Amino acid sequence: MNSQTKKVMVIGGGIAGLTAAWELAAAGVEVALVEKAPFLGGHAIQYACKATDTCQQCGACGVEKMLANVVACDRIQVHLAAEVASVSGDGPFTVALRASGSAPAGAGACGAGYDADPQACAAGRGYSVHNGVFYGPDGSFDPRRVAAPADTTVDAVVLATGFVPFNPAEKPTYRHHELANVVTGLELERAKRIFGDVRRPSDGRLPARMAFIQCVGSRDERLGHLWCSQVCCPYALRSALATKHKHPEMDVTVFYMDIQNTTNSFGAFYDQCKSALRFVRTIPVDMYEAPDGAVRTRYMTEEDGAPVDEIFDLVVLSVGIMPGADNSALSRTLGIDLNGDGFFARPDLLNTSLTGRSGLFVAGTAGGPMTIAGAMAHAGQSAAAVLQYLGRASR
Amino acid sequence: MTAKVETAMEQIEIATGVLVVGGGMTGVETALQVASQGYAVTLVEGGAEIGPGAESRPRGALPDGADLADRVARVRASDRIEVLSGTRLDAVAGLAGDFRAWLGTAEDVIERRFGAVVLATEFAVKPLFLGYQLSPGKAVIGQSDLENRLAEDPAAFAERTVAFVVGFAQNGNPLVMQRVFNSVKALQAAGAAGVNVFVADLKVADDGLERCYREGRDGGALYFKLKAAPQIATAEAGVTLTFPDPVLRRAVNADADLLVVEEALEVTAANADLAAMLRLDLGPQGFLQADNIYRFPVATNREGIFVVGASREARSLAWALTDARNAALRVRELLGDGKRSVPRDKAVVDIGKCTFCLTCYRCCPHGAIYWLAENKPVISPVACQGCGICASECPMDAIQIGGFRDDEVQGRIGAALADVNGDPAIVAFCCQNSALAAGEMAAQFKMPLPAGLRLVQVPCAGKIDLQYILDAFVKGADGVLVMACHPGNCKSERGNTYAGWRVEDAQRILAGAGLDAERLRFATLAANMGSDFRAIVVDMAQKIQELGKVSQ
Repeated sequence: MNSQTKKVMVIGGGIAGLTAAWELAAAGVEVALVEKAPFLGGHAIQYACKATDTCQQCGACGVEKMLANVVACDRIQVHLAAEVASVSGDGPFTVALRASGSAPAGAGACGAGYDADPQACAAGRGYSVHNGVFYGPDGSFDPRRVAAPADTTVDAVVLATGFVPFNPAEKPTYRHHELANVVTGLELERAKRIFGDVRRPSDGRLPARMAFIQCVGSRDERLGHLWCSQVCCPYALRSALATKHKHPEMDVTVFYMDIQNTTNSFGAFYDQCKSALRFVRTIPVDMYEAPDGAVRTRYMTEEDGAPVDEIFDLVVLSVGIMPGADNSALSRTLGIDLNGDGFFARPDLLNTSLTGRSGLFVAGTAGGPMTIAGAMAHAGQSAAAVLQYLGRASR
Repeated sequence: MTAKVETAMEQIEIATGVLVVGGGMTGVETALQVASQGYAVTLVEGGAEIGPGAESRPRGALPDGADLADRVARVRASDRIEVLSGTRLDAVAGLAGDFRAWLGTAEDVIERRFGAVVLATEFAVKPLFLGYQLSPGKAVIGQSDLENRLAEDPAAFAERTVAFVVGFAQNGNPLVMQRVFNSVKALQAAGAAGVNVFVADLKVADDGLERCYREGRDGGALYFKLKAAPQIATAEAGVTLTFPDPVLRRAVNADADLLVVEEALEVTAANADLAAMLRLDLGPQGFLQADNIYRFPVATNREGIFVVGASREARSLAWALTDARNAALRVRELLGDGKRSVPRDKAVVDIGKCTFCLTCYRCCPHGAIYWLAENKPVISPVACQGCGICASECPMDAIQIGGFRDDEVQGRIGAALADVNGDPAIVAFCCQNSALAAGEMAAQFKMPLPAGLRLVQVPCAGKIDLQYILDAFVKGADGVLVMACHPGNCKSERGNTYAGWRVEDAQRILAGAGLDAERLRFATLAANMGSDFRAIVVDMAQKIQELGKVSQ
């Protein structure tokens, strides 16, 4: 197959987009990788390692390695802080890109190295050193590494636009926006990237009593979210276990409906969790302010359904995977359908990388919830499907 | 520290045929995908049929309306795919790019050469009656039995009450759960009077399962989530299940005409034999892949041997076919056009020093070392991952790794220590897969690091010789850190374990020489944790500050 002269656009620079871009480039295809944020890696690059004494197979460090591959690959042209304005043609496609407005202003927090505000700078680069190559010494994009948004003609398009974490404001009784020590799983991860440990946002102290609440925004009939996000049990249990391992004196509670599996080691892993953590099979209903920044949490006991209040120093909401904010707009721009949940539809049951439109492919959580490992495998499949399509197109 | 020298390359020819083991739907898709990349495929299946006939996923775990037969027809029509059904894999020798396989048919044993091997083995479907202290009978049947009966005669379930028990005899997974959800909906369509599902945890972490569960529930099925299996009393006419009701706070009974017992989808006994034959690390639950992020999604500890579908996890057919397509990418990356350019000095054995002790052969986690007839060990430049465990374990120092020869690394240790002035000098040997990246992150994000800290890159912690550690102290280090990947996160599976052992040995030697063993520490961390790197080195620096500099 001769794909030397072919070019593919990958929209989205999270783990699925990185993997698809890397696989295509490895097969000799030129890739334009378009990312809305000012850094590559998406959500997964921001997650912390969840090892106890041993690796728990979360895959976060694998994202780092995939980003390193992409950054070192000269067949991948990177557009940061860019988004799709319009698409024309029916293969080849001409994609008009425009600035997303997230480009760094220049000599700001990251100017002149990182001295001004290293933490803000790290956050602005997805906490990954590999994003450093995209910036000049003054903190603005290096034009040699970041291509300006422009009209680009490509033979195929991979949609790897990812997800948005559930916005906890949609469950107002958890009062995430009012109570400092009610945080989302992603916020906890970012704090761990900076401090290397769990900290209460209100006072920077280590919590003595910590709770994880599962299924926040997922499997929720009232919200119309009839899907399991697939990642929250793995990330919350790994995070809870790693925290308990580091701080054996801490009480860590997990409120849940049903526990989902991690990897093939799930049996042994879950046994470890059950001996280290307290599991309560109910989902709390309300949060209230308690003295000293603590959070009074009300739930119905699993034994008899009676309401009880319990105090935690830090409550983590295990927010789920929601369809990307741009999905409707992209669906119209690209002429491909969304499914009933708002993710990109994947009509072929036996190849979930295919969309209903020839030449357009989907990779990763743009099509529905999946783990880091799942998104990598899925993006590989998408790359394989693109290569087959290009092979056909060239004959 | 990352002094990359231009190394001489050599062109080698590799075999480009691909062996696919297993003729179920995953094996069929793998064969099609690999063939579509232009490679000749031999598809080996023990049974008489390929495709749906060789597929172990029970019908309740297959997607409705998917055209499986079409793929078999495409395999049959392909002139790049040779199908050998009724054929066993008797033996495999060799390495990536040059495997030799002996395939046993009814009449003959065929020998073939392949560049890569893809394992697409199938599940064993195991009923779990014993887990509930039940035996199958008129009122108690297994999930497969139910699926077959529902397909053949759905009317027989009209007005019947059916109960399921699932998740108490195994942890289960979405594949097990999907079968129950599908059966519940089929029973409702067949006009069953009632469906009760007794379940430990609903495993809904796959596409569409939550919706499928809700549809059954909206159709009237009752789900009882229990901590332990209900008590089950069987009689000729049906079963009675007794379980605690959380609202009434007492035990209640539910009768059913038919009780359906869950099944496990497990690896077959053949997996252990395959693992031994192919020198693969057997993973949890007997799958042919270790739980290690470097194996995502289809790699094994051996280059050129890939695992797909039921060989590596119990998931849906859609995900198994995802693996098949990934395997085709990996095959393409490995085999290319049959010509590979490999560095001459990737791993070189000095035959003059070698005493044929077999240490290297035994410790290589990638099975990359083989033996020529004239008693000569050879390290395959295609299969070798360059970790250097063999080089550090070789008792004769007969192996050198390109870019990390002993003289090069020792030179770097000396150079690193040369510019430490006054501050306590700490040499950190850093695995390039974890600690080195974490250290770069700590530096780039301006985390304060000890002034006398110097990093020395190694390809894997398994390449940190005992001699390097001692050499660092001889050259003026006041402390030495050996920084490896977390257990279970080593790209070469056991490099971190070897490094840990060598640190223990070195600590004994240091103690014998009158040095505090605390001057040498072993630590594990991940590539993305600059903050962990900082914590480890700062703690070490404090310790060295307490102990003072080594008096020369």
